[in-house]
Amino acid sequence: MLSQLERLTREIDGRYASDAELTFAIDYVRSFNLRVQTYQRLQELETTLVQQTYTKMRSIDPSVFSHGGDDLSAKWKRDTLRVMRYVAVAVLMDDTETFRERLLLWFQTIMRAFGAQRSCNLTYQVLQEVVKQSLTAPQANLVCPLLELSRRTLGTLT
Amino acid sequence: MVIATAQNSVKRKHPKKHNHYGFRDFFQFDPDKGTILDWNQGQNILTTEDFIIGLVEGLQEEVGDASAATMYTIGCEWGLKDAFFFENWFEKEFERSMRQTNLLFLLETWWWPFTAQGWGRWEIDMGDRKQGFMFINIFDSAVARTLGDVGKPVCYLYAGLFAGFFTELVKKQLSCIEIQCYSMGETYCKFLIGGQDRIDAAAFWMNEGATARDIEKRLRSGEILR
Repeated sequence: MLSQLERLTREIDGRYASDAELTFAIDYVRSFNLRVQTYQRLQELETTLVQQTYTKMRSIDPSVFSHGGDDLSAKWKRDTLRVMRYVAVAVLMDDTETFRERLLLWFQTIMRAFGAQRSCNLTYQVLQEVVKQSLTAPQANLVCPLLELSRRTLGTLT
Repeated sequence: MVIATAQNSVKRKHPKKHNHYGFRDFFQFDPDKGTILDWNQGQNILTTEDFIIGLVEGLQEEVGDASAATMYTIGCEWGLKDAFFFENWFEKEFERSMRQTNLLFLLETWWWPFTAQGWGRWEIDMGDRKQGFMFINIFDSAVARTLGDVGKPVCYLYAGLFAGFFTELVKKQLSCIEIQCYSMGETYCKFLIGGQDRIDAAAFWMNEGATARDIEKRLRSGEILR
């Protein structure tokens, strides 16, 4: 939303915006209540969602949280919470671009440096399933595309 | 490089934030002072592509063919200084020594400020590190993008930067050569970093018309060692 507003401000310099150019702002206003509810729900359920994802991932692949004898569980939880919080803000602000710019592009290089793509792929796939079970369908529809973007960005082997 | 004393306001609020490379996080514009400070207190200036053209062509006019070596040397000095600058901010930000850090993570962290500043994204290939050389790909080199397809490598500044930085990092004299450039009509730039003997060999092969792929093959087959 903010990125789009900024772009619109630049594009319409010295003139009024057309109806088509304002569609995104109207859509945003219409979806605002749902966005706030989803944001608050994510805030409320954050720990549960991450814990459920953790348990489910362990049952799918018990080795996913260990690397060279180290237990990566705490680090994984920190990283996943960080992504969740940025996802929540992106839902609230309807701003995927800022989510990519401020977190994902950087985090992608860091996850690759640690060879964590397989874990990321599974994390954001399972997290989507968990979100779908815990949130209403309209809420999950706002969250899941961002988690899918996270999965594709962080979980793809080059 | 100029280090300023004022501090980025986002950094004051979130000193432990690591993902601070978004435009508004990384740069702090001060309209009153006319300064742009980055997250690490470096003073930045905005330049146009005309500036880069002026720099490259001006140098060419002044020193002729020596301009490539001059740019490379400037890059080396920059890389050497930046290694110390980086060590300082890295150890403050991550509260650990550079030497006790996952190497790839360290290198990604080194390059991120350059990405934020518009020097391009990179990809580092350390698969041949044990053999004493490695490759770096740069996507969207500021110099090559500006100069366009001129049929020869132009990113001497980058090559020098890598040579200087890695020399200080591994405490061993390293050199660098650009073996493929966007300005040769390729889609991205490719640099080889290693000891002088390998870089000389690569330069020789390039003069004979070898492509980056040929050079990679010859190095991997240990040709230089024969």
